[in-house]
Amino acid sequence: MTAIPHPPHSTVRSTVPPEGTRGVLLAVLILAMMLGGATLLGWLLSGLTARIYPEAPPYMILVYVLGILLVMMPVVSRLFPWIVNWYYLFPALVFLAAFTVLPIILTVNYAFTNYNAVNSGNPDSSLRTTATISADKRVITLAETPQSQNVQEYLRCDTPGCAGATLVLFDDQASVPYRAKVASVSGLQVTLAAPFTGPIEVARATRLNSYTYVGLENFREIFGKASRALVPVFIWTVVFAFSTVIINALAGLILGILLYNKNLKGRNIYRTLLFLPWAIPAVISVQMWVALFNQQFGIVNKGLGLLGLAAVPWLGDPLWAKISVLFVNLWLGFPYMMTATISALSTINDDLYEAASIDGASRWQQIVNITLPLLRNSFTPILLSGFAFNFNNFGIIYLLTQGGPDQQGREATARSTDILLSWGYNTAFASSGGQNFALASAIALIIFFLTLAISLVNFKAAGVFEEARK
Amino acid sequence: MTTMPSQDATPPEVYVHQEPGVLRKALPWLIIAAAVVIVGVLAFYLNRNMQGRPKSFTIFFVERGWVRFLLFLLAASGVLALTSLLGQRIGMARTGRKISYSAVLGVQLTHLFLMLVVLVAIYPLFYVLIAAFDPRNSLFAFPDFSNPNILYKTGLLPRLEVLSYENFQKLFEGVAIPLWQLVLAGIAGAALTALLILAMIARAGRESEGLNQTRSWIMRVLIVALVVLVFFMGPSQFGGSTNESKFLLSVRNTLLVSGITGFLAILLSTTAGYAMARLRFPGRFQTLLFFIFIQMFPVFLALVAVYTLMVLLGLSNTFTGLILAYSGGAIAFNTWIFKGYVESLPESLEEAAMVDGATRWQTFIKVVIPLSGGILVFIFLNQFIGTYAEFILANILLTGVEKWTVGIMLLSFTQGQFSTKWGVFAAAATLGALPIVALFYGFQGYFVGGTVSGGVKE
Repeated sequence: MTAIPHPPHSTVRSTVPPEGTRGVLLAVLILAMMLGGATLLGWLLSGLTARIYPEAPPYMILVYVLGILLVMMPVVSRLFPWIVNWYYLFPALVFLAAFTVLPIILTVNYAFTNYNAVNSGNPDSSLRTTATISADKRVITLAETPQSQNVQEYLRCDTPGCAGATLVLFDDQASVPYRAKVASVSGLQVTLAAPFTGPIEVARATRLNSYTYVGLENFREIFGKASRALVPVFIWTVVFAFSTVIINALAGLILGILLYNKNLKGRNIYRTLLFLPWAIPAVISVQMWVALFNQQFGIVNKGLGLLGLAAVPWLGDPLWAKISVLFVNLWLGFPYMMTATISALSTINDDLYEAASIDGASRWQQIVNITLPLLRNSFTPILLSGFAFNFNNFGIIYLLTQGGPDQQGREATARSTDILLSWGYNTAFASSGGQNFALASAIALIIFFLTLAISLVNFKAAGVFEEARK
Repeated sequence: MTTMPSQDATPPEVYVHQEPGVLRKALPWLIIAAAVVIVGVLAFYLNRNMQGRPKSFTIFFVERGWVRFLLFLLAASGVLALTSLLGQRIGMARTGRKISYSAVLGVQLTHLFLMLVVLVAIYPLFYVLIAAFDPRNSLFAFPDFSNPNILYKTGLLPRLEVLSYENFQKLFEGVAIPLWQLVLAGIAGAALTALLILAMIARAGRESEGLNQTRSWIMRVLIVALVVLVFFMGPSQFGGSTNESKFLLSVRNTLLVSGITGFLAILLSTTAGYAMARLRFPGRFQTLLFFIFIQMFPVFLALVAVYTLMVLLGLSNTFTGLILAYSGGAIAFNTWIFKGYVESLPESLEEAAMVDGATRWQTFIKVVIPLSGGILVFIFLNQFIGTYAEFILANILLTGVEKWTVGIMLLSFTQGQFSTKWGVFAAAATLGALPIVALFYGFQGYFVGGTVSGGVKE
């Protein structure tokens, strides 16, 4: 007990990470190895589970990976004690890697393929056919080849022998698909590259609708039709994001400055009431506005009728639909700007106004020469992040106008109020886009770069990089 | 420094008045002129757009109504000018101090302006609220042209005598609620009422230690009751055949998804935020940059890939898949917020704990986390409310009616294949907005401060 304490391993296993770039690279390497190893092990384990329990859900891989990581962490920290610092970041990093970075990588990948509803990478369930397997489990005989002349066409082979193509096999219920590599075909007989070892009684088969790489084809399509989609949509996106920020900020500034007047009785009541549009979830209030903007029955036009104005086609005319989008966004956004103005104003020292009024400055002069210049500091980042947010503000466009109404000379996926993101969404998921996932991914890639450019300017102006370096 | 004043030392900052340049002086006016020009051009185009459009027969028109409105405004301003004059005179006579007339008039006109703004901003909400109680699908009802009352004639108000709970009844059709859930709902309601009463007592100025303790206990009861209720309510209780009878289920789904996402956001971002703020190790700056860059890309930019990934994992049409997809987008921003908060804490507390033999992890759990209640509430609420209002990912990943969230359910009422059910929509919108409005007003302080400071830091 009283023996001289001596650190046994401190010379070998340092608690201090290597300095500089080497330390960063080493840490990244170790973390990547942990994550990669866990993923690989999890993948193997989940494959094994699927062998034993075919009904095991595919997401078991996530459970396995998490479990393996939990086991690995103490082991690795024994080897490299300094990695413990990184463990604080590890949960966040793992989730980011799985659900943000991986989708981004997949998106970049899809942008160069012909991935769509037809080429989905999945078994084609509509062209399923009855099949029998030979005793040595190597030869599959198809009953027919739906919608095709021969097996080569059915399997969409590149070579006449179909070597390397994939056949998908099912049991009687056609529940779990098993993929098998093809060695050769002759007539309706398909010879597999290896004997089929799956745990099922083969009764049906179908082809795999694989997608292939098409290089820059998607981008060629986007830029080829630029005047019908990309250019007008981009212009409207920028106009929308810019003007909505300016309009909201102006409204918020005016209301905020009016409400910050200490002589105004009942200003808390006004503030509470004007807060309401912000408090209601946008997903609900935007849909409410669709009803209110109806041309024949909407309350807005009824109100205008009271003023003797003709019924406005709010959502039915390309120009008015744009006005509607801006108006609803103003209604949704002004309380935030108003609140921001009020809290920024409360940081301004009252002495400044007092000194100015002693010097004989009018209220207007005080606002122009004291309030606005001092508000600029706190407003710049708010305006810039507002621009970045509205640049991708899909929700309001989709729920209010669905991108419509139609406009002459435009693609069906890029109508008069579509912004870039809703154009991409329509391409992938709306009926007008034909589920062209690859084209949508290419559009997303273009939006990536535009968002990147905007955000870089944004962060530079807001001083985020300086704060990070602290 | 003070002993050796050198020649070229910069003088202390003294304000030197510089007359602003001509351009700088003219800038406000230039901006106003530009705005007027833009508005003018827009008005011209909109006016041209409206030329030749027939007046709608479903709308009651008051000829030259806008002239009357302007006259009303003018008259109101005139009355205000008079009353302010009176008020100023009376005030000066009573207090004996000089009161500027323009200030009094300014306040009065501000009231007029703000009332108009409130009317325009809040009336649509009021109208939807009334429509929720109107069984005639009244968001789309014909106005009653023969009625002498102008509000009924134009259809700005539905007739109050027809109002009923019919729309709400449709939302609760075939819903079976067992006794224990009713009891829990009763407990939650009672706790909520008690909280409101306590808030009023606190407003009245009787703040005390006992009051705070009671409040935090009632809060805990409320939260536990709600969590149990949301967690154990299930699709089997909703036996109605229509979509609208499953509305309450969609509210429950949304609350469940938002709650778990909010909790996950705290779990994933606090440790990372703490490490960013306090630990110094090579790679910290690079990781921070990585987080900032990741934060710029909303998850739904990679929508196709997220969808494919969830289908591959067998998680499409499950809450787990949706929550995981949200969690990716929740981490970076919240880490940044928490990092900013930890940096504002005094480091000496943690140092003291470490001197007493606590490890880093113990310090984090036992010193930092108990101090950051406020910011954790903010992170949770912000994530909760953001998730509640999210539409696009939910719309793509959730395909079955029983999994729908509020936004998708509402959309199905208005974009139904055969009829739009505006009455039911209005009732559902009212009920669906209630939890968030309550949260917003209940935690206004946290929320306003946090959002604005977050906005500055973002």
